[in-house]
Amino acid sequence: MSRGTQNTLLLLVGLSAVVMVIKGTYLHFVKPALLPWLIAAAVVLIVLAVVSIVRDLRHAPVEDSADQDAHQHRPWLVWLLLVPIALTTFVVPPPLGAHGAAPEAVAATEPQRRPFPPLPAGRAPVVSIPDVVMRAAADSANSLDRRPITITGFTLRYPEGTDLGRVVIICCAADAQLARIHLSGPAVAEAAGYPEDTWLQLEGTVVPGTSAASTNFIPTMAVSRVTRIDKPANTYAY
Amino acid sequence: MEVLLASLIALALSAGAMSAFVAGNASVSVAATVFCGVFVQALPFLALGVVVSGLIAAFVSAEKLARWLPSRPVVAVALAGVGGAALPGCECGSVPVARRLFGEGVSGAAALTFMLSAPAINPVVLVATAVAFPGQPAMVVARCVGSLVTAVTMGLLWQRWGRAEWVTRRLPAAHDADASRWTVFTEAARHDFLQAASYLVLGAAAAAVLRVAVPAWVFEHLAGHLVLGVLTMALFAVVLALCSEADAFVAASLTMLPLLPRLVFLVVGPAVDVKLSAMQAGLFGRPFAVRFGPATFVVATVVGTVVGLVFLGGAR
Repeated sequence: MSRGTQNTLLLLVGLSAVVMVIKGTYLHFVKPALLPWLIAAAVVLIVLAVVSIVRDLRHAPVEDSADQDAHQHRPWLVWLLLVPIALTTFVVPPPLGAHGAAPEAVAATEPQRRPFPPLPAGRAPVVSIPDVVMRAAADSANSLDRRPITITGFTLRYPEGTDLGRVVIICCAADAQLARIHLSGPAVAEAAGYPEDTWLQLEGTVVPGTSAASTNFIPTMAVSRVTRIDKPANTYAY
Repeated sequence: MEVLLASLIALALSAGAMSAFVAGNASVSVAATVFCGVFVQALPFLALGVVVSGLIAAFVSAEKLARWLPSRPVVAVALAGVGGAALPGCECGSVPVARRLFGEGVSGAAALTFMLSAPAINPVVLVATAVAFPGQPAMVVARCVGSLVTAVTMGLLWQRWGRAEWVTRRLPAAHDADASRWTVFTEAARHDFLQAASYLVLGAAAAAVLRVAVPAWVFEHLAGHLVLGVLTMALFAVVLALCSEADAFVAASLTMLPLLPRLVFLVVGPAVDVKLSAMQAGLFGRPFAVRFGPATFVVATVVGTVVGLVFLGGAR
């Protein structure tokens, strides 16, 4: 493999990071906090590639030691860089759904109970599903009790009913986990009427005491209102 | 170059068909997303790593480093282990850095110790661990001690039994004496990135395939026994190839297990996993990687277990 090809692949890896940032598809794979780092990485790679290309053009093809080194050691491996370039730029696999996430309830840490900050003010504040699961399992201040909240997620069937779930990632898609809440209450039939993987916004109250070891720390919410929504651009919760 | 252009055109033309295939097949789709997740997450840390390794190539030679290091191996290796705390980041960045620092004798052992300790005991990772295990400071202490002891042990083992000839990958020889530092820096960073990134592709692919192929019940069923639990979690760490900044949260969520196997998971993960072994094979050579990986696995598992018994008070 020539130095020119290597430099071009280096440039393409940098450019594919730029494409992911511009199109926002990096959110399929990692969390938003990585954005500045991803931009910095793209800049580093593009600068390295351009500097190398310019240097080789100026100083004719110097078959230097680096190149000989690459010839000795399976240079074809560098071709593998085409795989991430192809996947992230051309193929763009979808964000993980319920199927791809680890089945553990994300927040089922040992119930080391501690006080959580109060919920936002308002009639039915929006709370993320992993936050609800965590509060239901471990909040010694019981901030969820008798408090209507609004949650957003996709529907999931399980043998005894319907859940609302959300895929939670900590760093990247490799550590994705599923956070879920069982549904009950007056409006549950409406939520259950939708096919699996429908995005819904639900209003309701978490039933106290439903998050326990016997339920694998999956709380139950009594639903009072169901609104169908479009699949959000960023499907993960953090 | 022509091959590359042809591949790119073929890719652009077939992109629609491939997207449809990936989206239509649940397992392929999960594997592809996990692969991209591991690669994209590693990319910034790898870029940071090769910038540091380029700077080392330009400003620090292995001989210079050997002169700075204390001559007593134990002291040098311990110093390198503690020094690992200074490179905040994931494990992907520390492999190229360690390769640049690697030299004959003591500096080789110190570089390997640094490589193992940097991703495990840096402040970012320790804070993440404290957040993931609220109210259990013993977990943070045990992780720090376990990883440090593992790193130092591996350094000393290398000092005693390691052979220079296992490291078959030679770094590009220093350029002409008149090469500017800028040239040395860019050439080193470029070389290290291409080597490490192409092996990262192999490692990320292995992690993605294993993730889809190994059913979850395997881990849940084996988790009942302590010894099996420890071994399972150690293997789990190798297979999953998680970022050291994320693994604490994953360990925290595995509530069906006692703390001890989860600590082993945290000690093994940053030291050895499929993507790290692939990258080590790329930068140090395969004879090195096939010896260093399994040895690190055994040492990390044993050290993690012993430290866990001491700090966490047995199998709670």
